[in-house]
Amino acid sequence: MKPLHLAPGAVAALLLAGCGPGAIDPHRQIGADPYLPAIHQYLMPPMRVPTIVGWGRAAPTVPAGLEVSALATGLANPRSRYVLPNGDILVVESDGPKPPIGRPKDFVMSLIEKKAHSKVKAGNRILLLRDADGDGAPELRTVFIDHLNHPFGVVLVGSDLYLADTDAVLRFDYLTGQTAIHSPGVKLTDLPAGPINHHWTKSLTASPDGTKLFAGVGSNSNITENGIGAELGRAAIWEIDRATGAHREFATGLRNPNGLQFEPVSHALWTLVNERDELGPDLVPDYLTSVKDGGFYGWPYSYYGQHLDPRVKPQRPDLVRTAIRPDYALSSHVAPLGLVFTTGATLPPAYRGGAFIAEHGSWDRDPVNGYKVVYVPFSGGRPNGMARDVVTGFLDAGGHIRGRPVGLALDGRGALLIADDVGGVVWRVTAGGAEPR
Amino acid sequence: MTIDTPRSTLRIAGRPLHAMLVPIPIGCFVATFATDIVYWRTANIMWADMSAWLLTGGLAVAALAAVAGVIDFLGDRRIRSLRAAWIHGLGNCLVLALCLVNALVHSRDAYTSVVPTGLILSGVVVLMLAVTGWNGWTMVYRHAVGVRERPR
Repeated sequence: MKPLHLAPGAVAALLLAGCGPGAIDPHRQIGADPYLPAIHQYLMPPMRVPTIVGWGRAAPTVPAGLEVSALATGLANPRSRYVLPNGDILVVESDGPKPPIGRPKDFVMSLIEKKAHSKVKAGNRILLLRDADGDGAPELRTVFIDHLNHPFGVVLVGSDLYLADTDAVLRFDYLTGQTAIHSPGVKLTDLPAGPINHHWTKSLTASPDGTKLFAGVGSNSNITENGIGAELGRAAIWEIDRATGAHREFATGLRNPNGLQFEPVSHALWTLVNERDELGPDLVPDYLTSVKDGGFYGWPYSYYGQHLDPRVKPQRPDLVRTAIRPDYALSSHVAPLGLVFTTGATLPPAYRGGAFIAEHGSWDRDPVNGYKVVYVPFSGGRPNGMARDVVTGFLDAGGHIRGRPVGLALDGRGALLIADDVGGVVWRVTAGGAEPR
Repeated sequence: MTIDTPRSTLRIAGRPLHAMLVPIPIGCFVATFATDIVYWRTANIMWADMSAWLLTGGLAVAALAAVAGVIDFLGDRRIRSLRAAWIHGLGNCLVLALCLVNALVHSRDAYTSVVPTGLILSGVVVLMLAVTGWNGWTMVYRHAVGVRERPR
């Protein structure tokens, strides 16, 4: 019987070896100079995916001076939103393409990720909400553009509405007040998609002068495990000429750039970046950074400047020497996806002239991190101070998921809109009691 | 007069199931070492993926072979009295445990899914298979374990 007794012992030893170092206080990794612990490579990475319970009668929590209400409910995977000049709100319903199974791990991961995402099949379309009287209850809800291919980013330049499907930037003619577009759209340029399409969300914004579009194209892997050949044109922000559709890589080494926005004071391009997994609970911090023309930000060869990633071979010391350290860390695995700079004066003074950031929340960290909207104060076009929690309650007291924040926008009255993909809700945050009517 | 040989309990028409199953994991685990070496030399991710599939497939059939082996081991006192049977059984339990760890190492992403830990484990497993295999052949070809009794 001895051989049988070996097996439980071996399994116990394995489980112990699978446990990594304890997680640190995430506040040590927020700001310009995050603490970076030593690398820990797992045998079994922690998969801490909370169960989805939905909102029921609950709502997110906001600090005194703010109020939150649901602008729209019953949506199918609302990912991003865009506010048109007349105040109409576009909500992009979208989900990711089904990833291929390249090795046994992909099969296991597909089961785990299924648990973290909404069970509702997204329409892969854009809805239009119109709340002309600003009471937080839209009078009109229409399908604005239908039959899209995993859409995410939207930006309007003049009468040209640009939309980033996962595989292309499309242009549609838009007239102010229009509530539906039926024309098929004209392709401006192809974006990297293909059979793997690991990071599929393509963020989109336009330069302040309107001549260029900027598209975020995430990497095709966590850390080149699909081969470096799969990364052509990826982990980059593309600059696309609006007139010709010609593109170049404006900045590279950005693993999964989302929430592209021009900062209103410095007019510089900023992005959120989702950094790599499986180096420990506190590596690598996700970050907010200004993006320099021609800048290289490390991925895959190095992280947070020039810290080498041992999983990448062959290395590129020539590139690593040029790797730029990002501006502001948000702590590890929070998955920041939505960014909006506050410009108006409708929210309380504590939330003026800074940035709101939506943290979709972790799936491979114990305890979990993110699942909230934070505010980072800015001064002189740079972050200045510690990020503060603003909208919380996306996890209930038992640690179950009620919702997950994704896209952010300010509506025509300066209220903060939050797309919650798992909850199927667009939340609206206003100054408490001071909402103009 | 017949020679009474140690009996295989789990058999199909007189053929031991354990002996039918073991070539598959042995082949998979030896091939894993080969594809690991090629990945180490080329950094072409296809070879690392191949290693991960070989380990997974090998482990699945090895688990069945282990069950069949344990049943045979418990099924005949004369098998348990063989030193070679103990080395073969305990050694292959260790092989199974190492391959399970190796499969987890191979579930990491990119280079460190193979180099150096995965490659070393794959090599150690091949060496151990040589020892446990030798003792398995000792059981069959010297002690006639599972061989039908025959007239002399």
